[in-house]
Amino acid sequence: MPLVYRVALVNAVVLVAAVVVTLLILAPHKFSSVADDEAALLAGALVLMGAANLLMLRRVIRPLEALTALARRVDLTRPGQRVPDAAATSEAGELALTFNEMLARLEAERQEATGRVLAGQEAERLRIAQELHDQVGQELTAVLLGLARVHAQVQAPLREGVADVQETVRASLEDVRRIALELRPEALDDLGLTSALAVLGERFAERSGIVVEQRVADRLPALDPNAELVVYRVAQEALTNVARHSGVTRARLELRRDGDNLVMVVSDQGRGLVAGGEPGTGMRGMRERAALIGAELEIGRADGGAGCRVALTVAGAPTRDDR
Amino acid sequence: MHSLAREPSPRRDNHHKPHQAVLTPIRCLLVDDHPAIRVGLRELLRAEPGFEVVESLATAEAALAFAERNRVDVAVVDYQLSGHSGLWLCRMLKRLEDPPAVLMYSAFSDHLLAAASVVAQADGLVSKTALGAELCDRIREVDRGATRLPPMPPSFADSMHRRLDQSEQAIYGLLLAGIEIQEIAGTLQLSIDAVDAQMWIMLSKFERSDRLR
Repeated sequence: MPLVYRVALVNAVVLVAAVVVTLLILAPHKFSSVADDEAALLAGALVLMGAANLLMLRRVIRPLEALTALARRVDLTRPGQRVPDAAATSEAGELALTFNEMLARLEAERQEATGRVLAGQEAERLRIAQELHDQVGQELTAVLLGLARVHAQVQAPLREGVADVQETVRASLEDVRRIALELRPEALDDLGLTSALAVLGERFAERSGIVVEQRVADRLPALDPNAELVVYRVAQEALTNVARHSGVTRARLELRRDGDNLVMVVSDQGRGLVAGGEPGTGMRGMRERAALIGAELEIGRADGGAGCRVALTVAGAPTRDDR
Repeated sequence: MHSLAREPSPRRDNHHKPHQAVLTPIRCLLVDDHPAIRVGLRELLRAEPGFEVVESLATAEAALAFAERNRVDVAVVDYQLSGHSGLWLCRMLKRLEDPPAVLMYSAFSDHLLAAASVVAQADGLVSKTALGAELCDRIREVDRGATRLPPMPPSFADSMHRRLDQSEQAIYGLLLAGIEIQEIAGTLQLSIDAVDAQMWIMLSKFERSDRLR
């Protein structure tokens, strides 16, 4: 039973009991012989008081119910939810106002923490990339140069072996360079999301041999920098999965607007998801990143029924242009 | 697709005449802030006939000071140097009276660095993953006056346009075609100083970007 009826019922019982007790104390001799019209008047007054009580209670308790319902379903990854019509006209209204303020504070703190987590991750990646490039890369280059010198000086039987080693070192230098590049959100700040994704697609195609067909809609909603980074990283991971699992030579990277949201889709017509397979770390990483900014991530079959489709829906940043 | 491999331009004065090429070694200046790479490069070129390493230095400033006082045929320059970058050095070298050919030697030899190298008027760009023989070939080629920059896919143009304004794009296009600054200034009806200043701005735009930091 809702709270409002429970309280009203208790009040009604107390009221009836009070009337009966009052009658018993003030006019015990009359109690057994109350006239019909007097009884009707009493009953009428009781019903009226009960109704008035119920109405007043509802006014007070309505905001409480709204507050309880919101507290139950509130999701901080989707900011902007508030108790409607909260006003300081009653204790409950006051409580709702305070609750709204608390939500706003939690959202702000959450966003700040998200930003810190993402910035921390990116800073760490950048540091590793630089270390790879400045240390490992340079040393391997020095090895390569040394090998070139040895290669030029040794005679036939050894020469081939040196060439093989040279090739191995060259390949690992390429790997180091590739890993360092992948660790950096290349030119995202500089070029913006669309161009950075174009560069990503190009580089991916160069490396994997998989052609990335890019479909970018005009007038995409603006995103805040954290969200852009997440979109970029999810696209990167999704493309890596295409290269790893799909077995195809074409993939599609799509950016479009859906209302105020930006939708990024990476799809292919390959082998698709392994049924019952454990989600890999890549997929978990995508989900975690999406959750950090409250974006929706769907991983499923591509439209044709075959292949894989990763769709990320991100709420656009509120901008003055949109109003 | 822009092809950036050009054969020797008749405008460039070669330091030695063809019949002397075998006798006169190519005077190379090596600039890399990593000691192991300087040693590796020096030893590699020492072992190859036809090269003479005149100096190997760690900073752009020291390299520029050396090139101002000594004749250098080819400067092999790493992009990443402490202090001024390799691209800065390249531009400064190209402003000398008798500029050496400049070969950028970088771990990240991608489109962006290739574009920046065009603006810095580098003659070539070689990845640090290249094998020794390839590096030697490139040095010989740029010494002959050839241009050896990697080709840029048309789709890269999009991100180029975001970086450069209209007059900069015009200058970039002319540089890409191998036109000299004097001629660019004439074509765009600007003073040589104005073109020169604009090129520094363009270079700083490339260097501010995330990738080349």
